[in-house]
Amino acid sequence: MKTESKLTLGGVEFESRLLMGTGKFASSETMTRAIEAAGAQLVTVALRRFNPGQPSDDLLGPLRNLKITLAPNTSGARNADEAVRAAMLCRELSGSRFVKVEIHPNPHHLMPDPIETYAASKTLVKEGFIVLPYMPADPVLAKRLEDVGCAAVMPLGSAIGTGHGLATAEMLRLIIEGSSVPVIVDAGLRAPSEAAAAMEMGCGAVLVNSAIAAARDPVAMAAAFAAAVKAGYAARGAGLMSRSAEAVATSPLTSFLT
Amino acid sequence: MNITVNGSQHVHQGNGSLAELLKELNARPDLVAIVVNGRMVLKSERVSVRLRDGDQVEILTFIGGG
Repeated sequence: MKTESKLTLGGVEFESRLLMGTGKFASSETMTRAIEAAGAQLVTVALRRFNPGQPSDDLLGPLRNLKITLAPNTSGARNADEAVRAAMLCRELSGSRFVKVEIHPNPHHLMPDPIETYAASKTLVKEGFIVLPYMPADPVLAKRLEDVGCAAVMPLGSAIGTGHGLATAEMLRLIIEGSSVPVIVDAGLRAPSEAAAAMEMGCGAVLVNSAIAAARDPVAMAAAFAAAVKAGYAARGAGLMSRSAEAVATSPLTSFLT
Repeated sequence: MNITVNGSQHVHQGNGSLAELLKELNARPDLVAIVVNGRMVLKSERVSVRLRDGDQVEILTFIGGG
């Protein structure tokens, strides 16, 4: 188990173990305030066609004023070739070596395609990217992605945007046990308590988007997630007590009234 | 000249430079990546590109995403 105070991804250190996505925010002002409240230092963005009808729709501008590193994703790519092309464009545009490989061809469940994700990750590592693959919660695939040089593995807690929390908890435990790179739970979280639980299990970080962006007060929720991630990480370092099948008294049971 | 930009027909009035095309589309040069006929144009190569009639241009930018 790793208990370093900093999160290290591809040789780059981050104080914050809360990664944040920038989708679904009502305004870029709410988004930037939420990123600040979260203390997030690694932030995901998506690549899309420029829309001449909305030339002022500028995301990069507000983000450049924050002290963050961008991890563009390859969402929209249906296979490894498209993901690699998207990653190259992202690097050209962001100047960041980080890429979140995200290949989910089926819009109904948005489950990542393990075969294409593996192929794209392998190529992108060779191309010099710091690769963060969004992946099914599969310990065998996690090992394979680590072996080809991914800087972390990012298994889903549950399907993107569902808020079903750590539905994959047992698989996550196996992935954490077997991984030498940070395990980052990506997708499905709804409540800060789930982020804390992921950190207590030994995750290196969590990536949160919908749970913050779709909260009634995104800025307050971002701060709540930041506190939960810190608490969960500290608890992991402190070592949780072992479970017992029977009650174990915390007060003396000797009788003193008779 | 007639070119295709992001899948739509576009009549380019300028001299075929990418700088003029971006100006025409109100796109800030530092906020977009450009692909011409399937090939990514690096920022350093932009000045040397001259568009020709029938070219397929893709202009990409970042939006919010998880």
